[in-house]
Amino acid sequence: MTTLTTGASQAGMPELLPGDVRMLLTGNYAVSYGAMRARPQVVPIYPITPQTPIAEKISDLQLAGEFDVDLMTAESEHSAMSACITASLTGVRVFTATASQGLMLMHEMLHYASGAMTPIVMVNVNRTIGSPWGFWPDQTDSLAQRDTGWIQLYTENGQESLDTVIQAFRIAEQLLVPAMVIHEAFYISHALEPVVVPAQERVDEYLPPFAPQHRLDPEIGESWGNVVNQDMFYRHRKRLGEAMARVPETAIAADTEYEALMGRGYGILERYRMEGAEIAVVAFGAMCGTARVAVDRLREAGVSVGLLKIKLFRPFPIEQVRAAVAGVPKLVVMERNFSPGVGGVLHQELKAALYGMADPPQVHGYLAGVGGVNVSARKIEELVGKAMTEEPVAESVWQR
Amino acid sequence: MLQLRIQGRGGQGAQLAGEILATAYFREGKYVQAYSTYGGARRGTPVSTFIRVDSAPIRERCDIEEPDAIVCFDPSLLSPALLGGARPDTVVLVNSNRAPSSFCDLGDYRFATLDALAVAQKNDLGRIVNSAVLGAFARVIGSPGIEHLANVVRDVSPRKSEENAGATMDGYRLVRILGKPDPEGLEALAGITPGSATEGGAA
Repeated sequence: MTTLTTGASQAGMPELLPGDVRMLLTGNYAVSYGAMRARPQVVPIYPITPQTPIAEKISDLQLAGEFDVDLMTAESEHSAMSACITASLTGVRVFTATASQGLMLMHEMLHYASGAMTPIVMVNVNRTIGSPWGFWPDQTDSLAQRDTGWIQLYTENGQESLDTVIQAFRIAEQLLVPAMVIHEAFYISHALEPVVVPAQERVDEYLPPFAPQHRLDPEIGESWGNVVNQDMFYRHRKRLGEAMARVPETAIAADTEYEALMGRGYGILERYRMEGAEIAVVAFGAMCGTARVAVDRLREAGVSVGLLKIKLFRPFPIEQVRAAVAGVPKLVVMERNFSPGVGGVLHQELKAALYGMADPPQVHGYLAGVGGVNVSARKIEELVGKAMTEEPVAESVWQR
Repeated sequence: MLQLRIQGRGGQGAQLAGEILATAYFREGKYVQAYSTYGGARRGTPVSTFIRVDSAPIRERCDIEEPDAIVCFDPSLLSPALLGGARPDTVVLVNSNRAPSSFCDLGDYRFATLDALAVAQKNDLGRIVNSAVLGAFARVIGSPGIEHLANVVRDVSPRKSEENAGATMDGYRLVRILGKPDPEGLEALAGITPGSATEGGAA
């Protein structure tokens, strides 16, 4: 995709903070700029549609002398992630990006990365997994990595992706847990939009250099990768769990401080127009944007509806989700993610999170937009109306 | 909100045309969202570009089902599926040497046509039609400003920037609009015989 940008600030748009620039960027290019501002020293990467523009833009920025980075082009995604782990273990900041089949090929090394406590930040551009072959948005690629020990943050637009990449380094490095920032094909990855790129000095203030106590360094003489006994493995897994459990509070603090410095914050989840809601749509990623429009229209028509946007999906913030839906009689999950034999992945996770809660909401699970099928605001309005008039069933229900 | 859909085939420059339009509106201080979907990412396969323009931040993340304007780079793509969400006030701009009225059997829409290939040839751009189509678009929609749009085309053209800007101005002048008399100077295009493809232009 051709670079079409301008640094001009404009009438009709919010004032910029000193040193910030507003550019017309795709979601993928926004990610590349966010990565550049975070100053990773090593970026091992392998191109794949629809992630490729991220790699291309990083390469452009490196060539232009703006991004001082060791950009390694690996021979596969498995190798790219292997190089990420090794580089990270030496104590440098590491970024990469992939999508779909590429993420699948990394799967083995994703477990290794979290086990090695390497705070790598990776962007995954959601795309349907073959077969059959497609290039369409759903989130089954990243959701299939639920159990790999990576933080997962889902974003709604290019600006949020840029901001979240910077925040993710902060969270990952504080806890030594790798983090995945996830946005969807086309609707975000290839959508050109006005994006604010924050001033380098302000990002530097937010994100100090990565300086881990333990690292591979001949001067120090530490190593990683030895065989351990059962007891050591037990303790190590438990420690990973403890770090994961601290993610929600760490992510909230990282976002609060980011907002204070940059003027933009997102939370780990968002309650949109939930006051007095009789029903709430629960969604993540790009669909939240369309759902906001549907919620506004329904509210105008007198329907008490809200939206719960789930941004942090791993760890699933059970406590915060329960607090967010307390008192809401009905929830309706809308998602593109069909797990054969289970149903909707978010539907399943949400029900598990609410199990045992006092006076829990009823939960409807709608499979809307599977395979990248379009989900318009009108469709969301229609599905809200449907959920309001029927009793929920245990299974996720296909909707078209 | 203005919602547009551009339909073309891979290699025709429809995606870049969408990016140029988005840039022109962005530089006018508008919020824009423009993205394309394509199957094979190769020449000849259909490419759909969606553009939203508004004075407030744009939140929708879905395809445009009811566009205010459809720009079609190739009449063979004027399918019922493409026109399904169009309304009587929807502008349907077609790259064709035919009169707008010749498309009226496809439905009750505001058809406009431009012989973009002839305009491209006149401006020494070979088969690169997107800069001409952009000019026609600005005329039928009434925005972005044509001088401003031509400047953006000039800025982003990888080569032949003056020729591309000239094609944009010609497209603006020579577009044929249903229910309106044909523009002056149209006959000059009739003499241009489509030649062999040459390199150059904004694609």
